[in-house]
Amino acid sequence: MSEKKPIFTPVSEKEVTRAIVAGFAKQFIEYVESDCLIIGGGPSGLMAGRDIALKGVKTLIVERNNYIGGGFWIGGYLMNKVTVREPGQKILEELGIPYEKAVRGLYVADGPHACSKLIAAACDAGVKFANMTIFDDVVLREGNRVCGAVVNWTPVQALPREITCVDPIALESKFVVDSTGHDACVVKKLEERGILKTVGFGAMWVEQSEDLVVEHTGEAHPGLIVTGMAVATTYGLPRMGPTFGAMLLSGRRGAQVVLEKMKKK
Amino acid sequence: MKNFIHHIPTCIDLYEEGNIKGLNLQSLGRYLAEKTGVPFRNQGNIYKRFSEEKLETIAKELARIKVKDPGKRFALGVPLQAEVDYERRRVRSLSWKVFGILYEGVLYQKIVSDLIFEGRLALDRCAILFTNQLFGTWDLDNMRYHARVSLYGFPSLISIVGLVEAPARPKEFYLRKQMGTPIELLEEEYQGRFLDHGDSRMTEVLKGYAMQALLFHLTGNPFCEDRDCRLFNSHWQEEVLRSQMDGQYEFCPRHEAILKELKSRSSSSSLSSSTGEAGVGR
Repeated sequence: MSEKKPIFTPVSEKEVTRAIVAGFAKQFIEYVESDCLIIGGGPSGLMAGRDIALKGVKTLIVERNNYIGGGFWIGGYLMNKVTVREPGQKILEELGIPYEKAVRGLYVADGPHACSKLIAAACDAGVKFANMTIFDDVVLREGNRVCGAVVNWTPVQALPREITCVDPIALESKFVVDSTGHDACVVKKLEERGILKTVGFGAMWVEQSEDLVVEHTGEAHPGLIVTGMAVATTYGLPRMGPTFGAMLLSGRRGAQVVLEKMKKK
Repeated sequence: MKNFIHHIPTCIDLYEEGNIKGLNLQSLGRYLAEKTGVPFRNQGNIYKRFSEEKLETIAKELARIKVKDPGKRFALGVPLQAEVDYERRRVRSLSWKVFGILYEGVLYQKIVSDLIFEGRLALDRCAILFTNQLFGTWDLDNMRYHARVSLYGFPSLISIVGLVEAPARPKEFYLRKQMGTPIELLEEEYQGRFLDHGDSRMTEVLKGYAMQALLFHLTGNPFCEDRDCRLFNSHWQEEVLRSQMDGQYEFCPRHEAILKELKSRSSSSSLSSSTGEAGVGR
């Protein structure tokens, strides 16, 4: 009677650990310097990253949570259906995300399906991620040009400062994209330093805020491109409701701006 | 009656700003000329005759007059570069469609006035700008900005977006919206009870607002208290539709008489100076 062969190849714990550390370290060392550093892995950051990386540009997305995707997993009121207004459904089609027409000009998709497809599209394009990593500060060069970000492990922020004292580290990049949503963390950091002044977002006006967010997407400061809801905070635009078309289109517009500016550099 | 009309303009100049779906400026002008005997000129887009350099200046001025918090008194600020870029793209594109920013109405009027009159206010021209942008004025009663349909003065501004957004829709529309009913569903259900963007009734409704602008120019008072008169200052969409489309008559007997008088005198009109406060309509 022959001995039953195990399904998995035997590997020791130390080899598993080595593989994780080596794999992470290899990528991290490579991406300490990137062409484009995107802060925030929500829909606009993912869309921007995907379009930029598709052009062969070295792109890293920093995400403070363990999960990527931001609010794109769920729609309003914690319900996992996401909506886009025309022409946002064209991007859903491009990414292979199934959707249905709700009413004229409004389309609805499953949040988990839409979000996972967008993440996969970004990964397939070559985007790398540093999740559980929180933005701490900007790296500035001559003329206050933004040239990178100071980051730390997310859990460090949750611990009392007295017992942590974990210094952050810096990542350098040709361009930084602020895709941190309403918080507009990178823009706010420049504001703290007196370099830029924001006004915060206005009252909710779904119909118009989407157009305005896309139209205002662009370079807010040398080296810093702002996308998604961070645009509304930066320019005092009306707040958006639970529709995601503008996040996808703003990400795409942000990518175009980055790519155009890279050509000029 | 003759004392009531201060002066009769020699022409009505109609301007537009951006893509104004649903507005037929030519038809509106013909209506005004027919009713008043004052000829009109369709001047087209207000920005079309300016140089790139001038448009850059206009973009910078417009970027400074955005009302960012309707609950606070307005203060001029220094715009960010992207805000100026946005305005530059807007004034360069004659068919610009995007709106949603609330501009400080009085300052907006000043910018437009400088463009039309170039520092020399000419009261023989009744200038009216139809815009696809939104402006508001500070309300002293509740100390906040309110979006407006019109701001009468030299020139008069009429906002097509304001006409859709400023007069309130039926109360139950807002209650159901608050309860979470999608706006698209509500718009289908309440279709016809309020004006929407690109509404086929827009030109017809705007004829009444243009007439309010002309009455302001003539008398200093653009409004009438009669709810059936096209000069009624409507606060609700149903009032707009009643006064402009479904009223007992087009103009109340008093204003009908003023227009008749105007028409009979307009061919022999002469300029006399007059100033007045800008009128505001919701």
